[in-house]
Amino acid sequence: MIEVSDGAAIPRRKDAGLFSAWRISFAGAILILVYLAVSQPDPYYEILRFIPDGILVTFQVTICSIFFALILGLITGLGRISRNRIVNSAASIYVEVVRGIPLLVQLFYIYYALGRFVRLPDMVAAVIAMSICYGAYMGEVFRAGIESIHKGQTEAARSLGFNQAQTMRYVIIPQAWRTILPPVGNEFIALLKDTSLVSILAVADILRRGREFAAESFAYFETYTVIALVYLIITLILSKLVSHLEERYNHYGPG
Amino acid sequence: MAQVDPIIVMESVCKFFGSLRALNNVSMSVQSGEKVVIIGPSGSGKSTLLRTINRLEEIDSGRIIVNGFDLHDRRNDINKIRMEVGMVFQSFNLFPHKTVLQNLTLAPMKLKKLSRGEAESVAQELLEKVGIQDKAAAYPSQLSGGQQQRVAIARALAMNPKIMLFDEPTSALDPEMIGEVLDVMVNLAREGMTMVVVTHEMGFAREVADRVVFMDIGEILEEAPPGQFFQECSHPRAQRFLSQIL
Repeated sequence: MIEVSDGAAIPRRKDAGLFSAWRISFAGAILILVYLAVSQPDPYYEILRFIPDGILVTFQVTICSIFFALILGLITGLGRISRNRIVNSAASIYVEVVRGIPLLVQLFYIYYALGRFVRLPDMVAAVIAMSICYGAYMGEVFRAGIESIHKGQTEAARSLGFNQAQTMRYVIIPQAWRTILPPVGNEFIALLKDTSLVSILAVADILRRGREFAAESFAYFETYTVIALVYLIITLILSKLVSHLEERYNHYGPG
Repeated sequence: MAQVDPIIVMESVCKFFGSLRALNNVSMSVQSGEKVVIIGPSGSGKSTLLRTINRLEEIDSGRIIVNGFDLHDRRNDINKIRMEVGMVFQSFNLFPHKTVLQNLTLAPMKLKKLSRGEAESVAQELLEKVGIQDKAAAYPSQLSGGQQQRVAIARALAMNPKIMLFDEPTSALDPEMIGEVLDVMVNLAREGMTMVVVTHEMGFAREVADRVVFMDIGEILEEAPPGQFFQECSHPRAQRFLSQIL
C-alpha cells in the first residue's frame, strides 16, 4: 500500500519559482543597468537620461497601434467566421496579404511608396502600418477565440430571441475573451518590440533616441547595451502582467 | 379572441442533412395549452423536428406557423417569434460567465427592456418556483446537473413564453437528478403551459402528455393519447420500440 499524504510536502508552483528564469532575467537586467550607471556614469548615466523621451514615444506608438489593431482584429475575426461570402473573402484576403509581407516592407510602403500620393506624418504612418499588420494577426486570434465557444451557447442565446449581433456581444465575446486574452497579451508584447522598426522613420522611439546618441558619442557598444536592457525590462514587466491577467480570468466564479 | 387555432402548425415539413432525409413530409399541429411528447429511437428525427419549431434548424420545404407567424416568411422577425418560444436543451447551455440570476435577467433586460429591479424580481420568483432560490449568486459551474437544468428552465420562462420546447431535458443527468427536473416540468404542465417535449421518460409521457407522437426515420408513425398509445399502439415499429424501453 502506498501511503498518500494530503499533499503538504508537494511544493506549490509559486514557491518553486523563486529562481525562475523570469526573476533571474529581470533582477539581472536591473542590476546590470544600475551597476553600469553607477560605476561608469559617463556614458551610461548619460544614455539613461537621454532615452526616456523615447520610451514615451514607444509606448505611444504601441498603445495607439494596439487600440486600432484590436478593433481591426475584431472586425476581421468576425469577418472570417461570417457566412457572407464577400465579407468572408475580404477578411481572408486581408489576413493573407498582410501576413505575407514583412512589417518593415509595409512600413516603407506606407511611408515612402504611398508618400507619392499623401505625405503622412511619421507618427501617423507608423501607427497605421503597425495597426494594419497586427490587425491581421489579431483577427486570427479573435477568430480562434470565438470558434472555441460551444455551439450550444449560440443556440441558447438565439432561442431566447437575441439576434446574431446581440449573441456575439452578450454571450460569445465575453466568453471568448478568456481564450483570446493570453495570445492578445503576447501580440501586445510582440507589437511593442516591433515598434523598434518605426525608428527608421523619423519617429523618436527608444531605438531612434539610442541611434542619435550613439551617432554623436560613438559609444555604440554602451548605447545598444542599454537599449537592449531597457527593452528587456519593459517586455519582462509586460509578460508578468499578462500572465497575472491570465490567471485572474482563468475561471468563472467568485474570486 | 378565443384560441381555436392551433398555436403550432407544421405542414409537409421536409429536412435533409446532405442526402439523409431527417424529416420526411411531417405534418403536425399543437393546440394552445396542449402537452405533446415526442418519442422514438435515436436518429428518428425527433430532436430535429423540435428544433425546427423555433428555426434553430432550417427546413427545406413545407411550412411552419408558430403563434400565427409563418417562420419562413421574410417579413416576420424570427427573433420576435423566438421570444415567445422557450427552449430547454439536453446540455443545459447556461451562460458560464454569468451568475444564475444574471442568466435569468440577461434576455428580459436586453430584449424586453425591463429594468434590473423588475427583471430580478421576476427571476427570484422563477428561481423559487424551480426550487433554487438560494443559488441566485452562484455560477453554473457550482451547480449540479439537475440544478443547472432547472435554472435553464427558469431562464427560458423568464421571457414569459407561450410555448416551451424541451429537447431531451433529462438525458444528460445522473439518474438521481432526473426526478427534480421532471417535477418542475410537471408543475409547469399543470399551470397550462403549451409544451412540446422530446424525451425517453415514459412515466412523464403517461402522466403529463395529452398526446404522444411516435417518430422513426423522419416520419410520424403514430399519434395518440398516452393511455391509448401505451396499451393498444398498432404500429409494429412503435411496438418494438416500446418493448425495448419499457
